[in-house]
Amino acid sequence: MSNLRWLGVFILFVIVFALQATVVDWLRFFDVGPDLVIIFVVTVAIRRGPAAGCFWGFWAGFTQDVYAPVEWLGAHSISMTILGFAVGQLEERFLSLNLPAKVGVLGLGFFVCDMIYFAVTGLSKDVVTNLFLTKSLPECLYTMLIGGIFFYLDLGKKKKKHV
Amino acid sequence: MLRAYRFIVDLFTQRHGIVAFVFFLVLGLLMRQAPVPIRESVVSTALSSLYFPAQRIVSAMGHYKSIAQENEQLKEENARLRQETFHAREGLQELARLHTLVRFDDKWDYPIVTARVVGHNPGRFLTTMVINRGVEHGVKENMPVFSMNGLVGKISKSTTSHSRVQLLVDPNLKLSVMDRRTRVVGFLESMDGRRLTAMIPTHAGVHAGDTLVTSGLGGIFPKGIPVGTVKEIRKSDLDVMCQMDVNPFQEFSILEEVFVMEKEPDWIVKELLDE
Repeated sequence: MSNLRWLGVFILFVIVFALQATVVDWLRFFDVGPDLVIIFVVTVAIRRGPAAGCFWGFWAGFTQDVYAPVEWLGAHSISMTILGFAVGQLEERFLSLNLPAKVGVLGLGFFVCDMIYFAVTGLSKDVVTNLFLTKSLPECLYTMLIGGIFFYLDLGKKKKKHV
Repeated sequence: MLRAYRFIVDLFTQRHGIVAFVFFLVLGLLMRQAPVPIRESVVSTALSSLYFPAQRIVSAMGHYKSIAQENEQLKEENARLRQETFHAREGLQELARLHTLVRFDDKWDYPIVTARVVGHNPGRFLTTMVINRGVEHGVKENMPVFSMNGLVGKISKSTTSHSRVQLLVDPNLKLSVMDRRTRVVGFLESMDGRRLTAMIPTHAGVHAGDTLVTSGLGGIFPKGIPVGTVKEIRKSDLDVMCQMDVNPFQEFSILEEVFVMEKEPDWIVKELLDE
């Protein structure tokens, strides 16, 4: 990645976190809101590959860790790094993903990320089941919806460029 | 320096980023396994250095959000206070009217029933109105109706909960009036449903601007209720009587509240006169 692109992704990173900390609160319904950070990591990983995916995944996770309870420090970093690396294997340079595939990758990535996070934090099975049903599942759907809109707009932009 | 940078970048991007993945994974695991004091130190260092600018942005956005919320709250409060002020003003006006009524009420020994005007007659000229008091409130036919300004009319029909008021401008209502200054008695009527006309003896010396009050004759209206002022005096066809236009004290179309005097008609007066 050129320096300019790094700067662009960094600015996007800052914007995403600012939005996640503010605007997402306004989009919450019944305490369920979208996870823009995961959309960011998945997008960067698909665009730039596994190296950039795990780099930005780590920093996104670390940023979340910094604001999470200190006992769980590292849990987000690990789960997001794995997510970035795994999704980066589907890099656009080698694979062309359509909109449903991208949304599916986002949803699957969300679940994998959450599962790793729960495993790393060492939560009990009952708590994990409860969190999965009440938090992960609705938030995953909401994130897929928002991510779908974002990917749709992004694809539209690309098509225009090609034309 | 540039070579070193290139070397690190190549190291991380080669082989589908496996090196980068292992590096960051190990970093995460180290953080996870680190003792609590070290974790706290990592977090506090990150917050005070790396994330300080981002925190400023987030707190600025949070501040903006709280300002927006406060603005909404203030708007709601403003609307509520406006409403309350409006009600308070209405209440003060009503209080002033009631104060006047109390003073008005002292003049006569009859109980007063306060009523709200709930309807007008649907015709072109306002000659009757409906009030929300009826027999169950003690209102009966032929009881005088007045406002704080003066006489309004009388009850022409009374039902259980509502009554119809026959206004002074109703051509079917005639009443005995008296010039307050000269004490001469005449009668008042409306010929067209709009204007009031008084017939008073010519020799009495009534002038424009004189006040007419009820004379107390006839048995329905007690003596002394203000009716109106003489606007213009016209010679009658009959020389002995003067015809004069009268401006009523009360504008009937804007009446909201009226008072009914619980005074039974003194038909005995009429009977004695008839005899």
